Amino acid sequence: MEKNLNLKTTWSIISKNGILFIFLLLCVLLSIITPGFLSWANILNVLRQGSIIGIMAIGTTFVIIGGGFDISVGSTLVLTAAMCVGLQSYMHWSLAILAVLIIGAIIGFINGFLAAKIHIPAIIATLGTMTIVRGLAYLYTGGYPLYVEGRSFAYIGTGYLGPIPFPVILLLVLVAIWQFILVKTRFGRYACALGGNKEATRLSGVNVDYYHIMTFIVGGVMAAMSGVVYASRLLSVTPLAGQGYELDAIASTVIGGTSVAGGEGSVVRTLVGVLLLTIIANVFNLLGIHIYVQYVVKGVIILSAVGFDTYSKFRR
Amino acid sequence: MRVVKLKKSFPGVVALDEIDLDIAEGEIHALVGENGAGKSTLIKLVVGAYQRDSGEIYFDNQPVEFVSPAQAFQSGLSVIYQENSLIPQLTVIQNIFLGVEYFSKLGFLDERKIYQHYQEITKQLGFNLPPHEKVKNLGVAEQKLVEILKALIHKAKFIIMDEPTASLSENEIEHLFKIISELKTQRVSVLYITHILREVFKIADRITVLRDGKKIDTVLTKEVDQDKVITLMVGESLKNAYTTSLASARKEQKEVLKVENLMRKPRVNGISFTASAGEVVGITGLRGAGKTELSRLIFGADPMGSGGIFVEGKPAKFNSPLGAVESGIALVPEDRKKDSLILMLELYKNITLPTLKQFADNGVISSQKEFAVVKEAVEKLDIRSAGLKQITKYLSGGNQQKVAISKWLQTEPKVLIMDEPTQGIDVKAKVEIYSIVRKLAEVGVCIIFISSEVAEVVNISDRILILSEGRISAQFSQGVSQEEVMRTILEEGS
Repeated sequence: MEKNLNLKTTWSIISKNGILFIFLLLCVLLSIITPGFLSWANILNVLRQGSIIGIMAIGTTFVIIGGGFDISVGSTLVLTAAMCVGLQSYMHWSLAILAVLIIGAIIGFINGFLAAKIHIPAIIATLGTMTIVRGLAYLYTGGYPLYVEGRSFAYIGTGYLGPIPFPVILLLVLVAIWQFILVKTRFGRYACALGGNKEATRLSGVNVDYYHIMTFIVGGVMAAMSGVVYASRLLSVTPLAGQGYELDAIASTVIGGTSVAGGEGSVVRTLVGVLLLTIIANVFNLLGIHIYVQYVVKGVIILSAVGFDTYSKFRR
Repeated sequence: MRVVKLKKSFPGVVALDEIDLDIAEGEIHALVGENGAGKSTLIKLVVGAYQRDSGEIYFDNQPVEFVSPAQAFQSGLSVIYQENSLIPQLTVIQNIFLGVEYFSKLGFLDERKIYQHYQEITKQLGFNLPPHEKVKNLGVAEQKLVEILKALIHKAKFIIMDEPTASLSENEIEHLFKIISELKTQRVSVLYITHILREVFKIADRITVLRDGKKIDTVLTKEVDQDKVITLMVGESLKNAYTTSLASARKEQKEVLKVENLMRKPRVNGISFTASAGEVVGITGLRGAGKTELSRLIFGADPMGSGGIFVEGKPAKFNSPLGAVESGIALVPEDRKKDSLILMLELYKNITLPTLKQFADNGVISSQKEFAVVKEAVEKLDIRSAGLKQITKYLSGGNQQKVAISKWLQTEPKVLIMDEPTQGIDVKAKVEIYSIVRKLAEVGVCIIFISSEVAEVVNISDRILILSEGRISAQFSQGVSQEEVMRTILEEGS
C-alpha cells in the first residue's frame, strides 16, 4: 500500500515535471553524442538564441493560462522592432523603447477587448490583429529595411555583463519577475482562476473581464519587449521579420506544460520549453542536419508534449 | 413494456428498490413522485444510461438489456427529455429524419420521398410545422412536437416524456395533449413523468406513484382523485430522517434584505419579500418556477430586470456579482461544478477567491496569512481533504459543497443565498450542511435557502415562500406540515 502510494507520488512528480526530465535527459544524451555541446560558449549561445522567443513566450504563457490565445505576437514583434529603430531618428533610444512598449500594451488591450468584451474567440480575434499589425509594419517601413546605429542601444541585444550576454540576463530576470507575479500576486491567481472557470470566477465577485484583458496586455508588452531585443541585436528590421515567432512561443508554452485549456501553467517551465526547442535547433546545426528536417521534428515534439497532457487528462 | 423487481443502488443509498411496472400497448401511463423519489433513475435504467443491479426489463415481451440510450432508441424506445436533444442549426425535416434519411439509387438524398413521408405522418397526427424552418427558430412547444415526430419516424413504440410541459403555455399544453391522445390511437405507449397532477388526470390511463425509491401503488386514474394521489406521494405519516424542525424560536430581528417587485421575464414575474438577520427563509416550488433565476437576479449574476433590491435599507442594484459581494450578498449557486468551483485549482485557492484582496497588500499574496485563514475555514466547516493543496476536483461532493460555502463565509455576508445546496451529496453531508445553515443563522446571517426538496425546506426554514411561475404564490411560517406545503405546490402548479 505504502509502496503503491510512493509509486503514485513519484509518477505524479514525473508527469508534472515531465518536460524537465526530458530536457535533462536530452542534455545528457546530446553532450555525449555532440562534442562541444556542453561548452560554456555553446550554452551561452543557446541561451542567447532563445532569449527573443523566451521573452515573447512569457506573455504567451499568461495569455494561455488565462484561457486565451494570441497569435498576433509575431506581428507585434516586427512592428515594435521597426518603430524602435525608426523612432530613434526623433528621440533618445530609451524613449523609443518606452514608446514601443506602450504600443505593445495597446495591441494587447485591443486583443483582450475583442476577446473579453466583444466575445470573438481569441484565436480569431488575434488572427485579425495579426494581419492588421503586420500591415501597419509594412506601412511604417514602406516595405524596406530600417537601420539604426548606436553603441548603447546595441548593448541590449549584443552586450555582455561580465561573461554573460545581456539579453540572457534580461530573459532570466523577466522570467523570475513574471513567475513571481504568476504565483504570488492577485493578478496571477485570478488569471489561473478565470482560465480554469471564468463563470465561477465571475460569480466569486472578480472583475473577470479586466483580468482577462490584462493577460493579453502582458502578452502584447512582452512581445514588444522581444521586439526591442530583436532590433537591438540586428540594428536593422525588415517588415518580413518575426514570421512564425508566435508559433515558436506558443509551442514553447505548451511544451512547458501550460494547459491549452487554461488555468494552469508556469513561466519557468515555459523557459524550459524554449530551451528545449532552441537546443534541438542548435544540435541539428552542430550535426549539420538540414533545416527542413528540423521543422518535422519540432512538429512531432509539439504534438507529443500536448498529446501526453491531453490524453492523460482524458484517461482520468 | 414490463419491468420486474428492478433494483439500483448508489454508494450509500438504494435509489430504486425492487420496482415492478407494466405498461400496455397504447397506454398512457403517468409516473409521479417527489424529487428524489427515483423517477429519473428509473428512466435511466430502462434506456440503459445506468446498469441495473438486479431485475428484468421486458420490451415487446422480449427481455432486453440496453447498453446505451442510443441502442434503446434504435429498438423503438425513445425519451423526450426536458431539455431538447435536437440540432438547432438543422431544419425541422432534417432533424426528424436524422439517421434514417431516404436515399436515391445513386446515393443522393431523396428529398421528395422524405417530404412525402413527412406529409403523411403530420396528416395522421393532425398538425403541421414549417418543415424547412431551422429548429432554433421554433418555440419550445414546437420543438417538443419535432421530438415526438422524430420518435415516430424512428418507429418508436414507446415514448418516455420527462416533464414535457415544463416551459409550455396553456394552449401549447392542450395541443400537446391532443397529440399524445393521437399517439394512443396509433398503438404507441407513453410513460408520462410529471409533477403536475392536473395533467395526469387529464391524459393518463393509470398512475404509478414512487416515493423514496419504492413503488407505492399503481392506480387507475378514474378510480382516484387528486387528494388521494398527493397522499400517496407524500405518505400518510411523514417519517423522515430529519423530522425535527430545526427552526428556532426567533425574536424580532432587523430586516436586512428587501426585494421589491423584482421582474425579469420570462422566469421572474414580480417578486417581493423581506428577510431579517438571523432568519432562514426557505424558497421552494416546482422545477421551472424561477427559483434559480431569482437567486441569480438578486446576486447580480444576470443583467438586472426591473424592481428594487435593498440591503439594510440601502438600495442595491448590481450589474455584476462584484457589486452584490460588496453590499454583503453571497450566492452558493446550484451547479457546483460549473458556477461555483474552479475544479482544477487547489482547495485553498477556491476558498480565498472572493477575499484574496485581504491577503494581498499591493497585489502580492501573503501565503502565511492566506494559509492561516484557510486552515481555520477548513476546520470550521470540517472540510475533509488530503491537504489544503488538494485539487478540488478530487474532493467528495459534500466536501466540495462545503468549500463552495466556506469561500463565502470569508466575506462575512449579511445575506447568504444557497441554491439547492444539498443536491447530489450524501445524507450525512446533507445533515452537516443543515447544521452549518442553522449555526450561521444563529450568528445573525440572513439565509435564503432555495430547494426543491420540500422536506428539508420545511425542516430548516423559519419561513417558507412558495414560488410558482415566477411569483410568490403562498407563504408559510414555521410549524407548517410537509404535506401542506407539498399540497400547495402541487395545487398551485395546476
